[in-house]
Amino acid sequence: MSSSGSAQPVDARLSGFATLPWRRIILVVLGATIAFVVIAGAYKTLTLPGDERFSGDFWVDQIVNGLGQGAILALIALGYTLVYGILRMINFAHGEVFMAGAFISFFFADAYVKSGFLNSNTYLALTILLIVSIAGSTLVAVLLERIAYRRLRNAPRLVPLITAIGASLFIQSAFRGFFGPQPRGYPLPTLLEGSVVLAGISVAKVQLLVFITAIVAMVALQLFVNRSRTGRSMRAVAADSEIASLMGINVDRVVVITFIVGGILAGIAGLLFALAFTQVVFTMGFRPGIAAFTAAVLGGIGSIGGAALGGFVIGLLQAVGPSLFLKGFGVPSENSLRDVFVFLVLILVLVFRPGGLLGTGDAEKV
Amino acid sequence: MQPGVRVGVIAGVVTIFLAAVGLIGNFTELNIIGEEVTFAQLMLVMIPLVAGFVATAPKVEAGELVTFTPQRAAMVGAVSGAVAGAVFGAFVVFVDAFGVERVRSVFLNVSPVLMDYLTSGRPALTAAAILTVISAIAGAAGATYRALPDAVRRPLGSAIWVTLLFGFLQRIVPIALDQLEVERDWLYSKITGGLTWVGAIVIALVAAGISVLKQQKGGAIRGAIVARRDRGAEGPRITPLSIVLMLVGLALVLIAPQVLGSVISDVLGTVMVFALLGLGLNIVVGYAGLLDLGYVFFFTLGAYSLALLTGATLNTFIGSSEPVISLNLNFYVAVPIVVVIAAVAGVLIGAPVLRLRGDYLALVTLGLGEMIVVLVTSPWLVPLVGGPQGMRDITSAAIGDFGFRDPRHFYYLALAFVALALFVSSRLASSRVGRAWTALREDEQVADAMGVSTTSYKLLAFAIGGAIGSVGGALFAVKIGSLTPASFQVLVSIQVLGIVILGGIGSLPGVITGSLVLVGLPGLLREFEEYRLLAYGAAVVAVMLLRPEGLVPNVRRSRELHEDELDQDRWVRDVVLDEGVAPTASPQGEGTG
Repeated sequence: MSSSGSAQPVDARLSGFATLPWRRIILVVLGATIAFVVIAGAYKTLTLPGDERFSGDFWVDQIVNGLGQGAILALIALGYTLVYGILRMINFAHGEVFMAGAFISFFFADAYVKSGFLNSNTYLALTILLIVSIAGSTLVAVLLERIAYRRLRNAPRLVPLITAIGASLFIQSAFRGFFGPQPRGYPLPTLLEGSVVLAGISVAKVQLLVFITAIVAMVALQLFVNRSRTGRSMRAVAADSEIASLMGINVDRVVVITFIVGGILAGIAGLLFALAFTQVVFTMGFRPGIAAFTAAVLGGIGSIGGAALGGFVIGLLQAVGPSLFLKGFGVPSENSLRDVFVFLVLILVLVFRPGGLLGTGDAEKV
Repeated sequence: MQPGVRVGVIAGVVTIFLAAVGLIGNFTELNIIGEEVTFAQLMLVMIPLVAGFVATAPKVEAGELVTFTPQRAAMVGAVSGAVAGAVFGAFVVFVDAFGVERVRSVFLNVSPVLMDYLTSGRPALTAAAILTVISAIAGAAGATYRALPDAVRRPLGSAIWVTLLFGFLQRIVPIALDQLEVERDWLYSKITGGLTWVGAIVIALVAAGISVLKQQKGGAIRGAIVARRDRGAEGPRITPLSIVLMLVGLALVLIAPQVLGSVISDVLGTVMVFALLGLGLNIVVGYAGLLDLGYVFFFTLGAYSLALLTGATLNTFIGSSEPVISLNLNFYVAVPIVVVIAAVAGVLIGAPVLRLRGDYLALVTLGLGEMIVVLVTSPWLVPLVGGPQGMRDITSAAIGDFGFRDPRHFYYLALAFVALALFVSSRLASSRVGRAWTALREDEQVADAMGVSTTSYKLLAFAIGGAIGSVGGALFAVKIGSLTPASFQVLVSIQVLGIVILGGIGSLPGVITGSLVLVGLPGLLREFEEYRLLAYGAAVVAVMLLRPEGLVPNVRRSRELHEDELDQDRWVRDVVLDEGVAPTASPQGEGTG
């Protein structure tokens, strides 16, 4: 782009560039490369020589882990989807809401394991931890809405997103300031150690707990949104908040309830994540937050079923993908690249099907 | 009475928050003025003071503007201060009753030092009472400050803030004075580190004096400037005075590293690297209105490709080795290549994603930024970029024997590139391309309808912005001389975004201000390093809520943001006043979103 004395106007030169189907070409090349990596990688991995090949048990383990992690991601993704459905904004700080619950419940878990309460009364202790985690996440979510987002309800779209990024950084740093930067080991009750055999498959007890709790929470959410009076007002506001407010629905209240519901789900996810990975640290919300957002977009943002589906797909992909697609190419420590899969999926979905798997497929462009 | 209580409770909670993060307990020794005024004390007094000030803000009630009488204002302010002090006092009593060590096992920064400081050996209840009384006085003072006539308030305000600013700059000003061999012990004490009382009073008097002068002569000067601007439409706008001012400014910028010493030059070097990144992102976010959260992509790309083009050594477990690609080019040959690589990369990653709507684009770019971070860390690319160990022995961009690794030399290299980027940005802004970007930002569909090729201009913004950012990365590599993935985290993207936003989206002076405030200040006050990200987060949220156009706004951008208010003003002026009806509500101050 030189501004030299060429007589041709700038736009004419640019349009020459624009008429070439550059975008199409780049898209096709991108798609073909990824298809090649996926197919060739999987083929090569599965046909590795005998001693390097993964056993069947390995794949089963990976799938079980993936489902467990997918359940957690689905719970977080629901928080993104609910808020997006109501306010049309990406609550970037939702990962921090999730982190807050896990981190706050850590101090109770730590006290309980020291007093022996965690192992003597495991069910009661876990219930209390769940309540604490939910309370922590919900508190952060509600404060976030009240302080940072409410005044920006009618601002240009990017303003609340930037605010959310600032809020996310602020919450992370505040937790670091409160509780210190070092990771803390989350105690696991002895009752949850080891694994059980289900239908010939050995499943870690924690993964089973994670899976069951997440499913129960999702079914409860579905019932709440579809059957309760509040759920009906939520759907009404999601459809058209202006008309809903004319029909006598208190939009402010519905928004707060949405953040509370998102906070509850994130709190549950926080406790489950802490139990599954037995560690909490102030940065733990970022990567799962992005992965969960990807899940929500993959399923079709705004759709509850889609968020759940997307969560499981992303969880499975993270667990199985690196081994399946990269090992065959001889990539060392392929699992360090698992997050690359998440971002690739995010980009591909948004480029090729912005509406997501269960979404409508339009409206998300422009 | 209600507003005073509400603001007071909020201020009390804020104080507890600051204490819990450690912003009070860790700074009981940071002297600002003498040994008497420390940072911790300032926090304890300023918060209720601000609370008193805020609680007495004039407001619209039932269609009428309510202002407080001075006496009532002082009362409301005292109440809000007292409530703030009482809330914080309750926290002190609670911690004392519960046991400091037990609280500390969760909240690391609620330490015995903090409690000793707050109670100074007295029983907790007495300490809480004292805190309440002090806060009430501070609150009343804040409220009284608002009620003061302008002629008193302005000089007083500038005296206070300029003095405190000099108190905070205790790491810069004394060093500069020492370099200039000016006697400074009367101003900054060597024992306390902060200002002496004599120095503080002198600074306060000077600041107040300047403020008074400005008030008296300000009208005349402003009139002259306006008159000159009006004349400027016909005649040349550059006057001898402005040339002299510009030359003095230029000379100051050029001699800065010699005067300020290498520590401050080092910080200024970092400031300029971030200013370059900010200028690049400003083109993408500010001019074209595309929110890019993955700007670290170009920073990383620039740093690593420069290292590979000029030749570097990989750090490995067994010593060192050559990277797979190592070209040993001259720095000044390599930089244009880096720029081209970054521009091409910008087009390549931009092409698939630029059709997306704003917030989706943001998330995709975030993913891209995170992906490159994962890639440079991963063991897969160790032979190329060294993985977690990174690489070292990167060129010092030497011209002959004059290398730029020394912070005082690096300053000039960075300055040259920042000046170039500023020039390019400002020329672009007023070019046809810049106007196309503005059209895009304001309304994409209308721009498209008017014949602006939206995709091409978006790609162009991505390419140019990315190219400038990659130069920032290349300079960073020269400055540090070694690269590890720890410097290339997604946080970089968010920091740069914070710079652009704080300064004012789309404003070039804003980018410079933003990087000075967000990178320079924390770099100079090492004690605050730990709280830098907290400040970033708080600054971004506060700017978005209170002043979305930033500190040094871009005029057009600011008009876009305040369109509603301007419309309201016009409505009041044209409709209401013309009909001789008093406005029922003041449109000003009704929220700035």
